[in-house]
Amino acid sequence: MTISRMLICSAALSVLSAGAAQAEVTVLGWPGGPEEEALRAVAEIYNAKSDVAEEDKVELLFTSRDGFFDKLQVDLAAGSNAFDANLIATYSIGRYAPYMEPITLSGEASAVFGDTVLSTMQFDGAQYGVPTDLSLHFLYYRSDLIDALMADDAAKARYGDISEEYLGVRLEPKNPDEWTWQDFVANALYFSQSVNPDSPTRYGTVIQMKNLLFNMMVFHSWPRSFGANWMDDAGNITVDSEAYRNALETVKMLYDAGATPADSTSYEYAEANAAYSAGQVAAMVQWNAAAGELKGAQAETKTVAPPTGPEARFTHIHGLGLGLNAAAENKDGARAFLDWLSTEEAALAYARSGGAPGLAGETVVKLAEERPDLVQVGDYASNYGFVMNGGTSENALSVYEAQAKEFTGYWAGTQSLDDAMSNISATMNELLK
Amino acid sequence: MRLSSSQENAVLASPVVLFLLALLGFPVVLSVVYGFSEANFQALMSPTFVGLENFHLVLNDIGFWNAAWFSLRFAVITAFLECALGLFLAVYLAPLIRNHGWMVAVLIIPMIVAPAMMGLMYRLVLHEFAGPIPFYFYQWFGWSPSFLSAKTVFQTIIVVETLQWTPFAFLLFMAAYQAIPQEIREAASVDGTRPWRMFWKIELPQMLPTLFVAGFIRFIDGFRVFDNIYTLVGAGPGGSTTSMSIYIYETFLRRGEIGKAMAAAILLFLVAFLVLALGQYLMRRSQ
Repeated sequence: MTISRMLICSAALSVLSAGAAQAEVTVLGWPGGPEEEALRAVAEIYNAKSDVAEEDKVELLFTSRDGFFDKLQVDLAAGSNAFDANLIATYSIGRYAPYMEPITLSGEASAVFGDTVLSTMQFDGAQYGVPTDLSLHFLYYRSDLIDALMADDAAKARYGDISEEYLGVRLEPKNPDEWTWQDFVANALYFSQSVNPDSPTRYGTVIQMKNLLFNMMVFHSWPRSFGANWMDDAGNITVDSEAYRNALETVKMLYDAGATPADSTSYEYAEANAAYSAGQVAAMVQWNAAAGELKGAQAETKTVAPPTGPEARFTHIHGLGLGLNAAAENKDGARAFLDWLSTEEAALAYARSGGAPGLAGETVVKLAEERPDLVQVGDYASNYGFVMNGGTSENALSVYEAQAKEFTGYWAGTQSLDDAMSNISATMNELLK
Repeated sequence: MRLSSSQENAVLASPVVLFLLALLGFPVVLSVVYGFSEANFQALMSPTFVGLENFHLVLNDIGFWNAAWFSLRFAVITAFLECALGLFLAVYLAPLIRNHGWMVAVLIIPMIVAPAMMGLMYRLVLHEFAGPIPFYFYQWFGWSPSFLSAKTVFQTIIVVETLQWTPFAFLLFMAAYQAIPQEIREAASVDGTRPWRMFWKIELPQMLPTLFVAGFIRFIDGFRVFDNIYTLVGAGPGGSTTSMSIYIYETFLRRGEIGKAMAAAILLFLVAFLVLALGQYLMRRSQ
């Protein structure tokens, strides 16, 4: 084959492939987990519909989770049209919003997902995505240990002594569903061998304290129940508050007392789960996604919503969803797919295929037998779910990053609480102004 | 038409030069442009020239100086340890290696592992509940050090880096040690020179240029360390394990301050260049 023939052939192939790209809706999804499987299943259902035109069929695109959001940011900022719809997450909507277009959901969406869950995909009052998966926190605890503690008078007395010594108040063991954060702390101390050498577990809890934004999300359920928020309604930064200080100081007290492993400052999701799975931790606050793993490793594990505080009981929620790329080549096709994805039919199919959508009302009832975990997720999201003021803003991701740096510095003893508060207030004022 | 020798050289070298210009030159030019501009992801295509402002921001950022101090300490300590251990191994194992050349292949295995993989590997190996090292500590002593706690993490990453890159220094020193003419050693032995004196007065001076080269390469590599620290412990509590490269990465991608990140990268390049120039100057003087 001559060079000129090769050039003609490759040019023809390029034109053909470009044509093919325009003739479908390319969706960039969250790769390598139940989310991918669920998205593949619903895409198949959508493509099989008789009223979906050939040029609007959905083609899925997956890369890798490592650095996914960094790569997505560069792609969007560069105006890439390699995909028409793409994954977004609650804390990064504001950052990606300049490169995306708001969408309209189906008329059923509000009833299917509920307003709290829909708000995880909103920015500046506009809906930027269809919520596909919801993440929130459970309190995981070993019911065998708690039951044994509640049945033993000597153990209860020891529990009371420890709580009095460390918290200044004598507490009685309680059912974890009734715990305040003070009970959580007392329990963590009682089940730590550094405090109570007779404890059956090495640590009472495991707190993931690595300098990582996701760890801040897990932590936030705690100060929020004491009334913490990033900003007040007037837009003033309110991070330097008693609520934050109280929660931060208590975590440090637990770390210093050895109630969580000394390596916790390098722990994230996987390490914390490994600690619990090893049977050396009595209770922990962790993402709902860990339920299968933790219950599989420790059969006596039960889950309830995180403990309550003086203000109320809260769980930080954030969602994954799919939104519309402003540089999309097939916007109409993408809008049609996203519209369908927000219907009850799609949500049920997504959940049945392994996804974890936050569903409400009648919809979640239909899944009660097949996916009881989603009932708990839907219930907690509706009753206890929160997103901090500014949690979907352009710099929300940076706020979490900055908090991770400052708060972990305080916990590890590299700076004082006052310095951490002063630094984070200044940074948040800059980021959220 | 027949080309002259120099023309032939130019023609033959041109693909490599063009390749380097495209792959290295363009990003360097772009980095310099962004380093002097206000640039973020929203204005990626339209950076605004701001002169030295980014450099001013970087030099007034306590985070930059903390990262620079961390990188300096890390680079000096690891370069020293790697060279000392590499030298020891090259001299101590020389008789063995002369007879069993395959040992070299075994000794350089850590160097072959990708640094990011090394970090991930130790993240598992040192985990209190999943790692074999803490497991055996608990088995034998009923206690284990917390290798990745805030108090010990610096020492741990020094050890990990040293374990991985000592083979590099070892390879260089082994080659230098073997290159010393045998007649010199024999002459010294005939004169009754003891082994320690032979090493100190004859062999080590012969190996000094290699020692300089290895030291400077390891220093520069240590100063710009990223992969193994980032995968092992990230930026560390309070940014305590933030090296210069991690600082640049986080400033660029996490905070979206592209101009500032590029200014820091240019400063890092200048430091590396100065150290290299200083190394060459010292080597020329020692020769």
